[in-house]
Amino acid sequence: MPQAIFIKDLVKEFSKRRAVDGISMEVNEGDVFGLIGPNGAGKTTTLRIIATIIKPTSGQVAVCGKDVVREAAEVRRLISYLPEEAGAYQNLTGLEYLRLMASFYYRSEEEVETAVAEGIRISALGDRLRDKSSTYSKGMKRRLQLARALMVKPRLAILDEPTSGLDVTHAFQLRKLIKEYAGMNRITVLLSSHNMLEVEKMCDRVAFINAGRVVEVGKPGELVSKYGGDTLEEAFMKVVGFA
Amino acid sequence: MPSGLRLLVIKEIKDLLRDPKILVGIIIFPALLLPLMGAAISVSTGSTIEKAYGNLSIYVVDEDNGSISQALLDYFGANNVEVNKISGPPESSLGVLSGGDVLLCIPAGFTSNITGGNWSGVVIYVNFKDFSMVEFIKSGRVDQIINSFRSELVRRLVSEEAPDRDPNALLNPIRQDYKSVIKGEAFRISPAVLQGTVQMQTLMGPIVIMLVLILAMQIAATSIAIEKEAKTLETLLTVPVSRMSILFGKLAGSVTVALLATVANVFAFTYYIGAVLGSAGAGAGDLGQAGLKLAPAPEGYLILGLSIFGALISALAIALTLGTLAQDVRGAQSIIGIVIVPVFLPAIFMMMGDISALPPAMQAVLYLIPFTYPALASQALITGNYGMSLIGLVYMACFTLAMLYIAAKIFSSERIMTARISFRARKAD
Repeated sequence: MPQAIFIKDLVKEFSKRRAVDGISMEVNEGDVFGLIGPNGAGKTTTLRIIATIIKPTSGQVAVCGKDVVREAAEVRRLISYLPEEAGAYQNLTGLEYLRLMASFYYRSEEEVETAVAEGIRISALGDRLRDKSSTYSKGMKRRLQLARALMVKPRLAILDEPTSGLDVTHAFQLRKLIKEYAGMNRITVLLSSHNMLEVEKMCDRVAFINAGRVVEVGKPGELVSKYGGDTLEEAFMKVVGFA
Repeated sequence: MPSGLRLLVIKEIKDLLRDPKILVGIIIFPALLLPLMGAAISVSTGSTIEKAYGNLSIYVVDEDNGSISQALLDYFGANNVEVNKISGPPESSLGVLSGGDVLLCIPAGFTSNITGGNWSGVVIYVNFKDFSMVEFIKSGRVDQIINSFRSELVRRLVSEEAPDRDPNALLNPIRQDYKSVIKGEAFRISPAVLQGTVQMQTLMGPIVIMLVLILAMQIAATSIAIEKEAKTLETLLTVPVSRMSILFGKLAGSVTVALLATVANVFAFTYYIGAVLGSAGAGAGDLGQAGLKLAPAPEGYLILGLSIFGALISALAIALTLGTLAQDVRGAQSIIGIVIVPVFLPAIFMMMGDISALPPAMQAVLYLIPFTYPALASQALITGNYGMSLIGLVYMACFTLAMLYIAAKIFSSERIMTARISFRARKAD
């Protein structure tokens, strides 16, 4: 199966702090892959390296065969990144924001408008898209961001804590949306989350990350069985030695 | 223009101009505030002058009652001043005076002393209550009238003593006739009048340039800080658009908004100056012709334009680079608050005097600051001394390229996300 993400011996150091300490993993195309780990485990740093925002100290990272350092411009055409606290331009309307972001990916007006129409559908914000994004609630802002990330049908969607800060209803709707949309359009999704239940329900495969290292990789059900717990959370705690 | 850059420029301008803080604080507020201030000063000054000149009346204790004292009082009357004669010692009448009232005391023997060839004095009491402009203007007006009367009296006395001589020639045997030499040509104009004309131009140039640079730096640093604070930068760095487009988009957006703000500010400032000073009357002597001689040559405008452009780009590159170090808008403003010092320093020195008159070390410091050269170029418009401005253009081109290189390096690296400078005390871990 073709690989959407290939990571080998990835290390990232900030000053004297090692945030990522030799991560290696592979994500197949079309998979929904979850990174699970506590705060400071290196999840966001790994996602930022894959998204070409920061560069690795050492190691190799490729997206659909393209190196994220040497071929960063090509990688950016394949990916869409949703940061944990992503915001929109406060003085643009939701619609203007979607159109602006779509225009970076497509040349023709027709393609842009098709993507925007998709964004309008995904966001489900209706007429509120004509208002400035500064007037949106947190849930609306997150839906706008998710619509922005998915409307361009990237080969790889990188979603950092996609339901962060949302209430149960909104989080449920977003999870459903991501899963369905990715399946329908064969988009590979790499997401990070603290929420084990979320990852267990959404992901085809997961990686446990602790202290900058991948400590286990597998299908959620298999990991739960392997470590003899009832939930992925229990499996994770056993793997990292807290249970 | 590449499509990514075009999109970013449009986005920047739209986002900046829709920001109430920028639209109101930098464009609309100064554009309205300065004319309002000018109108307020103009109205207030007008009414003050009207009040001071309108109904002036003075109190007079005339202990002389002679022909010259009477002529003086008649002279006051002829100048629309109401004369109220009172008697008794002047000190006993001070209680009746209101704010700005003047009591003129003409001593006994005033007329006989003058006609006898001696001097004689008058005492002027001015009563101050509010120390307002009206009170000062009133006393000044009385002084003017007495001076004017004295001149006429002196002429009359001289005419009586030497009827066959011109009293003006006797009183002013030496007349100064100034010729100001500009670019090798002499004009009948006094240096004082010339100074007033030239100073306005030499002052306005550095002020306007300083204003543009500071505004542009604030806008640029704030725009990158807003991207960080609103968490839009992280997303922008992952879309298929080059980092150089992001940098130049911010430069172009900031320049456009800064220029709009400058146009608004310059119009407002011009109106303010006009309202405060009133329209300048026709210049004395050959001011018009001298003005033509002082008119800048086209190459002067070209050098000034290039200097301002270079300074603007380097200022923006510095601001954007420093803006990446700030974690939020407040941090960006703090950083810019520090770096605008070298921007207004040259302008202040230019306004106060001549750089060449400064100690060599100070001159060297000013010549190292690239923002000195647009101010020099604006002065060179009048003086025609383009030498230093041309050297400055080469220096600024190098400085600007260096600044752009640093900004480009930061924008194309992860430092745009990871660089930090904080003005807050570090929290204990």
